[in-house]
Amino acid sequence: MLIPHPLLGLRDAQEFTYLGDARLIDRPNGMAENAAEAFHDYVYLRDNPAGVHRELWFHEQGDRSWLIVTRDTTTHEILGAELARDVALTRRGALSEGGAQA
Amino acid sequence: MTDLLETTALGLDGPAVERHGGFTISENADLALASLALRRDGTDPAPFGLTLPGPGGWVQGGGIAAFWTGPGQWMVEAPGGAARDFAGELKSACPDASVTEQTDGWIAFEIQSHAGANAITGLVEKLVNVDTGRICPGFATRTGLEHMSVFVIRRSEENLAVIGMRSAAGTLWHALTHAAARIQEGSA
Repeated sequence: MLIPHPLLGLRDAQEFTYLGDARLIDRPNGMAENAAEAFHDYVYLRDNPAGVHRELWFHEQGDRSWLIVTRDTTTHEILGAELARDVALTRRGALSEGGAQA
Repeated sequence: MTDLLETTALGLDGPAVERHGGFTISENADLALASLALRRDGTDPAPFGLTLPGPGGWVQGGGIAAFWTGPGQWMVEAPGGAARDFAGELKSACPDASVTEQTDGWIAFEIQSHAGANAITGLVEKLVNVDTGRICPGFATRTGLEHMSVFVIRRSEENLAVIGMRSAAGTLWHALTHAAARIQEGSA
C-alpha cells in the first residue's frame, strides 16, 4: 500500500504507523463544564464506517509528520493525504476568525 | 587520570574502509552533524550563506551541507568538523532557530561506485524501499533499512551516503557490505 505524502510523494505504508480516527485531533477542552462527559466520548466512542474513513498516520521512518489519510475501509483505496498540522492550523484559524466576528 | 583510547563507531582504531565489488564503503568519522529547527513562525535561515533545501533535498556550499528532515527542520553537515563545536557555530549563525548537537548520535557511511551511476541505483534497490527514479544527485530522505531508521543521501552520481544510528553501526555496516558484495556476485 502506498501513501501519497503531501511533501514527499508516494511512500510505502511500512514507513508509517497507524493511530486511528482523525477526530482524535479534536481534543475537548479539559476546563469546560462538561469535560468529563466530553472526554468519555473522545476517548471511548468511535464510528466504525464501512467506506470512506479519515485517519491519522505517523510517518515514523520518514519525516516524522502526522498525516490525515482518507481511506476506503472496504477496498483499502487511499483517496488522499494531508498534513495533520495544516488541517489543525486551518481549523484553528477559522475558529479564531469566527471568534473575532462574534 | 584514566587513559582513554579513541575508537570509532565500529570499535576500531581508525575509520573502516572496504571495497566490495564495484563499491568502496568508508566510515566518515569526521563528519559533524547538527539539527536545525525553526521556532514558531520563524523564517528559513541561511547558515554560512547556504540556502536550505526543500522536502527531499540535499545541498552543499560554503564548506557545509544540509538536508531536509521534516517541515521546518534540517540536518546540517560539516565535513571534517567532528572534533570541534559545530553545533555552537551553527547556533551563532542561526540564533533564532533551535540547534541540537547530533554528531555522536549517528554514523555516516559513504559509498562510492567504481562502476558508474547505475550501480548506485542497483544498490539502492536492494537497500531501501524508495522510488529509485527520485534518488538523483541532491536527493535525501529518511527511510527504513533492515528495520533501522536511516538517512539516504545521493551526494553525486557515483556517491551515496547512508547515515544511521551510531549504536547500530555494526549492523548497518554488515547490511551495506553484504548488499554491495552480492551485487558483485550477481553481476559476475
